[in-house]
Amino acid sequence: MSTPQAAINTAPPSAREMAQIAIGLTVVCLIASIILGGFYLWTEPAKEHNVAAREQLLIRQLLGLSDRAEVGEVRRYLLWRGTNLEVFYLGESRLVQLDAIGNVIATRDVPPETAAEGDVDAWVASVAEPGEEQELRYVGRFFTGIEGGEAAGFVIEGKSIGFKTWIRFFLAVDAEFNLLGIEIIEHEEDPGLGDQITKPYFKHQFTGRSFDDIATIEVTKDPLPNEWRAALEALGETELDDWLQQNADNLAVHPDIHAITGATISSVAVADGVKRALRNFRKRMDLVEDHL
Amino acid sequence: MSTATTRTSPPIGTLLMRGLFDENPVFRLALSLCPAVAVTTTVKNGVMLGVAVFVVQVLSSVSASLLRPVIIPKIRVPLFVIIIAIWVSVMDMVLAAFYPDIYAEVGLYVKLIVAFAIIISRMELFAMKHPPMPAFWDGFGMGLGFLVAMILTGALRELLGSGSVFGIQIVDFNPLLLVILPAGGFFTIGLIMALFNWVDVKRGIAVKDDYKGCHG
Repeated sequence: MSTPQAAINTAPPSAREMAQIAIGLTVVCLIASIILGGFYLWTEPAKEHNVAAREQLLIRQLLGLSDRAEVGEVRRYLLWRGTNLEVFYLGESRLVQLDAIGNVIATRDVPPETAAEGDVDAWVASVAEPGEEQELRYVGRFFTGIEGGEAAGFVIEGKSIGFKTWIRFFLAVDAEFNLLGIEIIEHEEDPGLGDQITKPYFKHQFTGRSFDDIATIEVTKDPLPNEWRAALEALGETELDDWLQQNADNLAVHPDIHAITGATISSVAVADGVKRALRNFRKRMDLVEDHL
Repeated sequence: MSTATTRTSPPIGTLLMRGLFDENPVFRLALSLCPAVAVTTTVKNGVMLGVAVFVVQVLSSVSASLLRPVIIPKIRVPLFVIIIAIWVSVMDMVLAAFYPDIYAEVGLYVKLIVAFAIIISRMELFAMKHPPMPAFWDGFGMGLGFLVAMILTGALRELLGSGSVFGIQIVDFNPLLLVILPAGGFFTIGLIMALFNWVDVKRGIAVKDDYKGCHG
């Protein structure tokens, strides 16, 4: 650019102009954040309510619970006390405190008024008495389905890093840790490719596997055979028990998870996440089951 | 609506036709191809993204046109991005809060839109120079043009790639996997571009040099 016109345009703006630009941008960003903040405050309670309602519905569907069944939540917290790690499990009525290798340090009953409405996280934090620079961290939760006074199964919340960001999923298991099904709760995989993880033909490949099956499950890039795909898609319309009976052979012939075409990373992310969540859950249940 | 304008604005018909055909954002301007290719593996995905872009395009064009008098020219581009981001985030939050069923379907697509070249280019090229009504119709036409492009591409790719349209099986054959993959998306869009040029030749209009090939 050697024309005089261009030379004028590339000259640095005057101080007045720069001030105008800086103030202009600041004002615009302020207005934008006020608008967005306002909308956030207005919509967030409704959004949280929707998410919670959807989770409850999913848990009941995954475990096949009746309307009279109850769903309990267990929250898990970590706390570093000096160099010692402590783990807390908060059930509906009891709080269990464990050390790093799984020995129970203490159990406490949750005061009824806290359980009824109060902020449970704040109560755990007050009971745990973290030191000056330590903070109690909430790290995850699982749900217990109680049908007629007995545990009908568990739903574990897990997450795994996907193609772009976290994939959150629910994992339903019965009392023997057999997988009853998985459901993807939240993800931002690409539409048309990675988002196929929510499709029956993918997520139903996990259904009906035992704890040991899942421990050794692998992802294959072989194309999904048509008749197996049809069987997986039919699961939504059939009762789980009937489906498992009809497809016992299929499950044995297809021990691996067939990856989604064009989305191997997303497929592996879900499979690994399921594997990890189930393994950890079993370990944790062995530690706290009798105390909650 | 005839208002005293600084510049004469083209009639509504011209504006609509421009978005749909003469300056179709995908097949003529070749804008926003990346998300377009990623999403159009099925018609349904295409429609979802198309509708989301349509709404944000209209809202953003009108906003830019209304704010014309107060926008400092030097910072107009960051301002456009902020306007688009506000509309996209507001849509995202409102849908998530009050229409969870719709949100479950379109949530992913809404978030994609912030980075859409076509929206920002219409704000710069048209909305900044015209009053709100023509800006509305320009956004309307361009959004519609994008939606139609998504439907065309999605239908062709879904038909060839999985033998179905809107998830309903139409023909039973070994699907062309390539068409579903990103490369196939570019091929499909290229073929439709060629069709557009062919129609122009038939109409006796010289094809613009710009539309003849790829230039970086």
